[in-house]
Amino acid sequence: MKHASPPHDSSITHVTGESEYVDDRTMLAGELFVGCFYLKVAHAEIDAIDTSAALKIPGVAAIVTAKDVAHNAWGPIFQDQPIIADKVTEFAGEVLAVVGATTPEALRRGLAAIKIRHRTRPAILTIGEAITRKSFIGGERFIRRGDVDKALNDAPHRMSGKLVIKGADHFYLENQSAVAYPKEAGQMEVHSSTQHPTETQHVVAEALGVNFSDVVCIVKRLGGGFGGKESQSSPIAAYAALVANKTKRAARIVLTKDDDMIMTGKRNPFEIHYEVGFDKKGNILALRSRLYSDGGAYADLSTAIMERAMLHSDNAYFIANVEVIGQVCKTNCHPHTAFRGFGGPKGVAVIEGIIEDIARELKLDALDIRKSNVYREGHDVTHYGQVVENNRLPSLFNELEKTSDYRRRRSDISLFNHNVLTATNRFSPGAETLRGLSMTAVKFGISFTTKFLNQGNALVQVHRDGSIQVSTGAVEMGQGVNTRIAMLVAEEFGVSLDTIRVMTTSTEKNANTSPTAASTGTDINGAAAVLAAQKIKQRLSALALKLAIISPENWPSKTAGLGSFPEIEIDTLDDSPGLTDFSGNKIVIPRRKLSNVSSNNTATGQLKNAERFSISFPQLVNEAYLSRISLGEYGHHRTENLGFNKLTGQGQAFQYFSQGAALSEVEVNRHSGEIKVRRVDILMDVGRPINESLDIGQVSGAFVQGMGWVTTENLVYDNEGYLLSHSPSTYKIPSVQDTPREFNITLDHNPGNKANIRGTKAVGEPPLLLAISVWSAVKDAIRYVSERDADHLAFNRTHLLPIPATAEQTLRHLDPHLFTAPVIK
Amino acid sequence: MIAKTRDTVIFSLNGQVTKVGGDDAFMTLAEWLRKRALLTGTKIVCAEGDCGACTVVRGFEPRNSKKKPVFAAMNSCITAVAQMDGSHLVTVEGLKADGELAPAQEAMRACHGSQCGYCTPGFVMAITGALEVLPNLDRKTAANYLTGNLCRCTGYSPILDAAQSVVRSPKHSLAARYLSPTIVKQLRDLTNIPLEVRGSLLGSSHLGSKTNTTAENNRPVFYAPTTLLEACKAAAKNKNARLVAAATDVGVQVNKGKALAPFIISLQHLAELYTVLSKGTSLLVGARVNLTQLRSAVAKSIPEFAKFLDIFASPQIKNVATLVGNLANASPIGDTLPFLLATNAVVHTARYAQGKINRRKISIQDFFIAYKKLALASGEIITAVEIPTGKPFRNLRLYKVSQRKDLDISAVSAALNIDVSTSGKISAASLAFGGVAATPIRLGKVERYLIGKAPSHELFDAARAMIDSQLMPLSDARGSDIYRRVLIANIFQRYVHTTLGTPAGASSLGPCRLTDELINSDASSGPANTQKAFTSRIATGGPS
Repeated sequence: MKHASPPHDSSITHVTGESEYVDDRTMLAGELFVGCFYLKVAHAEIDAIDTSAALKIPGVAAIVTAKDVAHNAWGPIFQDQPIIADKVTEFAGEVLAVVGATTPEALRRGLAAIKIRHRTRPAILTIGEAITRKSFIGGERFIRRGDVDKALNDAPHRMSGKLVIKGADHFYLENQSAVAYPKEAGQMEVHSSTQHPTETQHVVAEALGVNFSDVVCIVKRLGGGFGGKESQSSPIAAYAALVANKTKRAARIVLTKDDDMIMTGKRNPFEIHYEVGFDKKGNILALRSRLYSDGGAYADLSTAIMERAMLHSDNAYFIANVEVIGQVCKTNCHPHTAFRGFGGPKGVAVIEGIIEDIARELKLDALDIRKSNVYREGHDVTHYGQVVENNRLPSLFNELEKTSDYRRRRSDISLFNHNVLTATNRFSPGAETLRGLSMTAVKFGISFTTKFLNQGNALVQVHRDGSIQVSTGAVEMGQGVNTRIAMLVAEEFGVSLDTIRVMTTSTEKNANTSPTAASTGTDINGAAAVLAAQKIKQRLSALALKLAIISPENWPSKTAGLGSFPEIEIDTLDDSPGLTDFSGNKIVIPRRKLSNVSSNNTATGQLKNAERFSISFPQLVNEAYLSRISLGEYGHHRTENLGFNKLTGQGQAFQYFSQGAALSEVEVNRHSGEIKVRRVDILMDVGRPINESLDIGQVSGAFVQGMGWVTTENLVYDNEGYLLSHSPSTYKIPSVQDTPREFNITLDHNPGNKANIRGTKAVGEPPLLLAISVWSAVKDAIRYVSERDADHLAFNRTHLLPIPATAEQTLRHLDPHLFTAPVIK
Repeated sequence: MIAKTRDTVIFSLNGQVTKVGGDDAFMTLAEWLRKRALLTGTKIVCAEGDCGACTVVRGFEPRNSKKKPVFAAMNSCITAVAQMDGSHLVTVEGLKADGELAPAQEAMRACHGSQCGYCTPGFVMAITGALEVLPNLDRKTAANYLTGNLCRCTGYSPILDAAQSVVRSPKHSLAARYLSPTIVKQLRDLTNIPLEVRGSLLGSSHLGSKTNTTAENNRPVFYAPTTLLEACKAAAKNKNARLVAAATDVGVQVNKGKALAPFIISLQHLAELYTVLSKGTSLLVGARVNLTQLRSAVAKSIPEFAKFLDIFASPQIKNVATLVGNLANASPIGDTLPFLLATNAVVHTARYAQGKINRRKISIQDFFIAYKKLALASGEIITAVEIPTGKPFRNLRLYKVSQRKDLDISAVSAALNIDVSTSGKISAASLAFGGVAATPIRLGKVERYLIGKAPSHELFDAARAMIDSQLMPLSDARGSDIYRRVLIANIFQRYVHTTLGTPAGASSLGPCRLTDELINSDASSGPANTQKAFTSRIATGGPS
C-alpha cells in the first residue's frame, strides 16, 4: 500500500546506498582501526595489564588504558562508570584497554597479544542474589495512593504473583561506531552513531581533559538506535578520541555485532512481585507492586527507567488504591540502559497480565474487565496525581472491539480450542495448535520524567534563493524526525517541502541538547524550529508590509547596490505576521489589511488600487538580505506545565499521553511451543499526525520490535555473566516471516490534543507496548487448557508465563507435566 | 601443481572487469567492496550471513557450462574475494539505469520500506535478485526471498508491500545490462586457468591468515584448480590444507577470529562437481551443487526434502552453500544431516595416491566419528553425495524446531521413516536426529526393535522411551536439555500419528512423561570434552 504523505527525507539515498553512516566515511591516510579488550568474567580484580608484546606487533600504533583517561568517570545520571576500567572489572565485556592499529588484522593480533593478570571475585548475576545481598543502585522509590492494606483486606478476591521479564538487545543494524579526527590546538571532531551528541561531546572532552568547547560531535544519521545509543555510544566515541589524541591520527571504532552485544547494556530485566485485590466483576480495587530491576554494574539510566515503569504500572486503568515501590539492583552484568519504551513496558506488562489472570479466575472475558477498569470520567486521576487529559482510552477499546470483530472472533476461537482440547489426543490431526486472543492498551506519558531535559533548540537559516536549512539537536535514526521537522518548518513558511533541508546534527550548531529519546524528538526540536522560523517570518512580514507600499522600481533589488533609495527599516515589534499570509511559496497581503498598513505609513503609491499585494518567498528573502535584515534565527523551546516530584512520587509527570489499543490473535503449537501471530489490529492515537505514513511505520516497527521482546528474543548468559547469544545466529529478532499474517493499523481521529505543537502526539515508543497483547494472547491460549485441567490451573497460578514467552517457556506452561526441571531459573 | 596459474582474481563488478591480487583477495567481499572499491552501500552488520545487510547479487556458471549465468542474491560478508573468481557481481550502486531508480528501489521508496536505511540496500538487492527469476512477487514468495534479511525498524509490512508492488523494468534488467555475451565470454576466457593467489604474512586479515608465525611457507594461499586431479594432488601434498566449497561456515569462523589453515583449496572451478545426476533409484549430488539448485533437483523425487529446504537457511546462503559443505562441516545441528542418515546416503570421495585419483564410497552411517570428526583420510575430497530416492522412503518426514521459525539453527531436528508392509508388520525404520548429541545420530537399536513388529501403542511407547534413553542433549542458547527431550518425544509421537495413523488397538497415546531417572542419568553422561566442544559450537553458531 502506498501512502500519500511525503516519504522519509532520505528515502532515495537509502535505496541507492548513498546515505552515509559513520563507517561509510572514506578513511584518511594513516587512519587507525580501534578495538576493545575485555575479559569474559563478571567480576575480577586486575593485578596487571601488560601491553608490551601487543605494542611490538607490526601495525599496532597505540594502546590506551585507564591511566590515559583524563577524567575516567562518566554516566548519564551518576558519574559512576569508568570509561576504561582499571583495578576492577565489574562485568564480562567491560573495556580494559583500547588498541589502535593500521589494519584490522594488526588490530586483531594486537588485542590477542595483551596479557592480563587478574583474580576473579564473587559475582552477582541475578536480581534474586542482589536482593539477598542488598546490592542496590540508588534508593527505593515509591508512588502511593489510598489505603492499599485495607483495600486488599476488604477485596472479595486476592491474587499475588511474581513476573519475570528478561532483557532484550536493541539490535540496531548499525553497530556502535565513531570516528575521531584530531584537530589543531587539542580540539577533536567526533562523528558518532549516537542519540545524544551533547553527552558524547561532554564525555569525549572529559576523557581528553579539554573544554567542552574543544570537542564537536557530529551525527549525520543512525542505522537504528532504539535507546541503545542514548548513553552507551559516548564511551565508544571516547575510545576513538583517546586513540586519535594519543597518535594524532584519525581513529575509527566500529564494533562487531558480537562485541556490541557483549559490551553494551540491554533493556533492564525486571522481577515484579505484586498483590492485587478485585471484586467479582473484575474491578481492580488495590494493587501493591514491588518492582526490582537489574541495573547491571553501573547506574546508567536505570533509575529513570524504574521511574517510568512505576509511572506506567496503572497503564490504561484506574486503580483507587495503589502502592508501587521500585528498586534498581546492582549486578555484575553489562550496565542496562534505555530501550524504546524505557521502563513503561514492564509496568504495563504487569497490569495487563493481571487482568488476563483475573479473567481466568472469574471466568470472564478479559476485554470486559479492561473496559470496566479503564480511565473514564470521574476516574481519571493517575496514582501519581496527574489527570488523564484528552482521554481516548474508552473509545479506543470500543472502536477496536467493533472494527476487529472481537466478539465473533472470541467465540470462534473458543469453539476452535474446544475442538482441539476434546480431540482424541493431542497428536490427532487438527489438534496441533491452540489459539489465543487478547486486546491490550497503552497510555504512554510523553516527556522526559527529568524536567530539565524537556528543552530543545534549533537554528533556522534562510538562504538568498529562498531555500532553508534547519539544524536542531534531534538525531535522525530512521524515525523520520527530520522529515517531520521539515514539514513543520515548510508549513510555517508556506513553502514547499523540497526547499527545506534538515542538516546534520552537530554540537557546534546546537549545544546543550537533550538526547533524541523519550519519543520527544519532534515535539521539542520541531517546536524550537517553528519558534525560530516564526521569528524570521515576523521580520519578513514586516518587510513585506513595507515593500507593499513602495514602488517596485525602488525596491532594494533595484536600488541597494546604488544606494539610490533609503534603506528600509522594519519594526520587528509589528504584529506583522497577522497581516500577511505565507502559503504556496508566496507572501500575500489582502487589500483590506493593506489599508490598515497604509494608514500607519507615510508612503503613498499605487496600493489603493491594488486588490492585494503578493511577492514570492525567494524574492522577499532577497529583498530582506539587501535590506540587511537577518535571515537566520535560533529558537529555544521548553515544555510547559511539568512538575513531578520524584521524592513524593506525585505531580504532573507528562505533557500528555499517547494512547492506543491492539488486538492480537496467536496460534500456539502444542508440540513445540512455537508461536505464530495470525492477526493484529491496532488503533493508535497520535493526535493530529504530521505525517501519517511515517507514523504508521513507527507503529508497525515498534509493534514487531515489541513482539520480538515478548517472544523469541532470548538473552542467554553463562555462569560468568558472559552473554552467549551475542549474534543473530543465537539471538532471534523477528524476521519477515514473523510479521503478523494480517496486520491492520489505523490512526485514531483525534484533533483534541491541546498540549503539544500542532496537536500532534509522539509515536516512537508507545506502540511497542501494544505488543504485550501478543504475550497476553499466549496466556489466553494457555488459559483454555487451565479451564479444563485443575493441575494445569494450579501450575499456571504459581508460575506466571515470563517475558519472553519463548517456545520452550510456552510449552512448559502449556504442558508443565512434560518438564521436570524448575520452570523459572 | 601444474605450471601455469594465475595470481589475480578476476570478476565483473557492476559491468566492469576487475582484478584483485595479493592480500586483498583474502578480504571478505563486503570489506573489499567498502574499503577498496569504495562502494559503501553494501553494509556489514553481523558478519555471519544472518542479517542480509551485505547482500549483493552474483551470476556464475562453472567453466565449460554453456548456460548463461543467472543472478542470485548472496551474502558478501562471509565470502572471500578470491571465491568470486569468474563471477558477475552487482551491488546496490549498479542498479540505477539512466539515473532512474530500479524497480526494487522505487518500490521501497514509495512504500516507506526504509526507515533507518541500514538494512535497505540488502533488501533492495534481495528483491532485485528475485526479480531476475520471477516477473513479480506475491506475499508468500516475497517473504521467502526476504527471509535472509533482517530489519529492526519497519516491522516488515512496508517492505512486503514494496516487494509485492514491484514491477520488472526491461531497462533495469541486470541480465540484460551486465551479462552480455561479450562480457560472459571475456570473463570465461580470463579465468580459464587455475587461480593461485598468495597473501602476505601480516597484510591480509581474512581467509588463511591466522597463524602468528613468520615463516615464508605460512603465507596464506588460495588455490582454485580447474581439474579434480589438480585438486587431489594439492590436497595430498598440503596436509593442513582446508578444502572449501562455498565456505559459508569457514567465512563466519574467519570473521569471528578463529584460526584456520593457511592453505585453502577451493573447489569452485571444478566443473564436474556442479552436476546432479539421476541414477534411477538415487540422486548423485555434486560437491558444488548449491542448495537452491538441489531444491529444484529434488522437488519431484523427494518433495519432503524440498519442503524442508524451504525453512532451512536463507536464500542468500542457499544460493551458494552446498549439501556437501553441510556434510563436511559435520555440525551436530547441520540441518540436512538427519535426512542423509535416515536415507542411507553414500558419500563419494576422491584421493590422490600412487599417481592417480582413487575413488571410494563411504556409507553415511560410518561417516560421523565424533564431534566434527569425519571418516575421511588425509587429502580425501568429498566429490558427491548419493541420496537414495523412491519407495522405501515414502513415509519420510523431516522436522526442525527452532526459537524462530525461519532462518534459525535448530534446537532439534529429525528425519523419520517407518514403513509398514502389507503383512501389517514394520518393514523399515530410520530414525535420525540432530541437536541431541555430539554428532547427528541414527538410532539403529530402536529401529531394529521396531522392525518386524506390528505397530501398537505399546510398541511406540517403548520405542519412545528407548529413543529418550539414547539422547544426550545439552542446554544452550537454543534450549534446555529437557526441552530438547520433550521435543523429540513430541516429534516422534506426531510422526507416528500423522504418518501411520493411530495404531490398531490403541485408544490413545497419552502425553509422554519422561521419568526423572531417564533425564538425570542421560543429561550428565557422555565424555565431558565432547560436550564442551558441542556447547561452544552451538554458542558461536553460524550457518552451515
